[in-house]
Amino acid sequence: MKDSARHVVITGLGAAAAAGRGTGALLDLVLAGEPAFSPVTRFAVTRCRVTVAAALPGSPVLAGELAAVIADACDAAAMSSRDRAGSPLLLALHSDAAAARDPRAGQAIGGLAAGMAGRCGLAGTLRTYTTACVASSTATADAAAMIVSGQADRVVVAAGYLVDPDSFGVFDAGRALATDGQLRPFSAGRRGMLLGDGVAAVVLESAATARQRGATVLAWLAGWGRAGDAYHVCRPRPDGTGLARAIGNALRRAQVGPQEIGYINASGSGTSFGDAAESAALHRAFGPAVRHIPVSSTKSVHGHALEASALLEFVGTVLALRSGQLPVNAGFLAPDDECELDLILGTPRPRRPGYALSLNAAFGGANTALLVGVA
Amino acid sequence: MNTGPTARAAPSELAAPDELAALDGPGGLTVLARAQWPARDDDVLPPIPGFIVSSFSPLVAELAERCLRRYFGLRPADQVRGERTAVLLASTTGDLATAAAIAEAVDASRRVPPLLFYQSSPNAVVGHLTARWGLAGPVVCTSPAAGTLTDALQSAVLLIEDGDAAAVLVIVAEQGRAGAGAGAGDDHGTAMLVGPRAWPPAATRQEGER
Repeated sequence: MKDSARHVVITGLGAAAAAGRGTGALLDLVLAGEPAFSPVTRFAVTRCRVTVAAALPGSPVLAGELAAVIADACDAAAMSSRDRAGSPLLLALHSDAAAARDPRAGQAIGGLAAGMAGRCGLAGTLRTYTTACVASSTATADAAAMIVSGQADRVVVAAGYLVDPDSFGVFDAGRALATDGQLRPFSAGRRGMLLGDGVAAVVLESAATARQRGATVLAWLAGWGRAGDAYHVCRPRPDGTGLARAIGNALRRAQVGPQEIGYINASGSGTSFGDAAESAALHRAFGPAVRHIPVSSTKSVHGHALEASALLEFVGTVLALRSGQLPVNAGFLAPDDECELDLILGTPRPRRPGYALSLNAAFGGANTALLVGVA
Repeated sequence: MNTGPTARAAPSELAAPDELAALDGPGGLTVLARAQWPARDDDVLPPIPGFIVSSFSPLVAELAERCLRRYFGLRPADQVRGERTAVLLASTTGDLATAAAIAEAVDASRRVPPLLFYQSSPNAVVGHLTARWGLAGPVVCTSPAAGTLTDALQSAVLLIEDGDAAAVLVIVAEQGRAGAGAGAGDDHGTAMLVGPRAWPPAATRQEGER
């Protein structure tokens, strides 16, 4: 697998989250383990039960943030104008609040997707993924599949979500947000999720293409897996079988054994049932050995960026692998019997594993696993 | 709500040959079953308990129901094929009516109806139908930039060739401007179960057989 010319490598990354713009700011955030949640000032939250989110400062505009992050990733990958013009774009986006107010829009995700590839000098936007919290990891898996199949030599994947009054209002009404203002993955006393801005981009390409143009390989996308729960409209299957199958699919594709996994960036959204189901999935996939695999959910510091969260977490995972420090699982109060995991608490853990998993689970029982290998 | 008779285009063919060309290739794939909505001028979408305001989720669920019934017969699918069947929901419009209802509540400083929380994601109705039918393959929702059905079929073929699914229930659902209730006039959609030619013919199972 590692020797295959069509294996998928990562040559560019870009990110923006509450801590600021740039991959350096994201790495600092996830390693410091200081949650970025603060009172929402972008819009009125007076009628809401919860009033905090992890937001970029000022009044960011999604199209601009997305274009900047894509440019950062393409620059990091040292892509020429010609390289960009030959690279299709896959996007993952949330519904557009402006389009919801415009009877002429005719499209819930709005018109942002159509112009983004052109604005960034890319070949074209093929489609936008809307699969909720696994939208951007699904886009990443499809990009990898396109490269392996020979449909493309290089694909840019980008995703963005900025906390807006509509999503905040509906998550608050659904009692999904943590009333204590902290997102506490896998902890006793966890009360739910919190929203956060997230914009991310990655450049994926075949090993052969990267080698031909002398690109620096940051890491490789060793495997990817997807599976469904067939269980419920919004709750995960409690025994974790769907997510465990996604993990198994990723490991099999990469021909990597469970014992080789040295870090898991968990979906860990801080919900009572979601984290318990994910813990069950990890025990199912890895057996007793899971107690020796360091686990954290970086949502605990940057919040849940909905359709963009999986890509933001994937970028964070790649950065962490390269840094030799594994991110902190913030917000932890006390162990929960339903989540017996080796959580990274307090300070980042110095470690240089060969492989790490980035996991995500979404409404509708959608599960994804992305397996990152060190370059 | 059903807005009554409206000017509606006659049901089109389920897929033009150009669109089905996405299935050509070494994969040995075919359309195992198909359905469309509306199938006739007086077609009505059955509501789904817990889903309100918008016709989008009922449209997706009814397309899936008609297509899967034609292939699998009774619910659920048999375990072997069900576990290997993915769902790919593609929509250019998305759920306009739910998004508009949330925006309306927010703009009026009213509390958003809690039921809109989960139906605001297209995954929710996919979870509804996969739970009923026992379809445990990947769940994918997209908004293609162009050629929605062609793109959805190409994505389905990629998903199968990539290995995490053997078959894909492809649903293309578009919400019309009315959009605000089951049976709204200009909603339309197509569903196709794409899978291996080697899978047994449609609806051969009898009641009680798994």
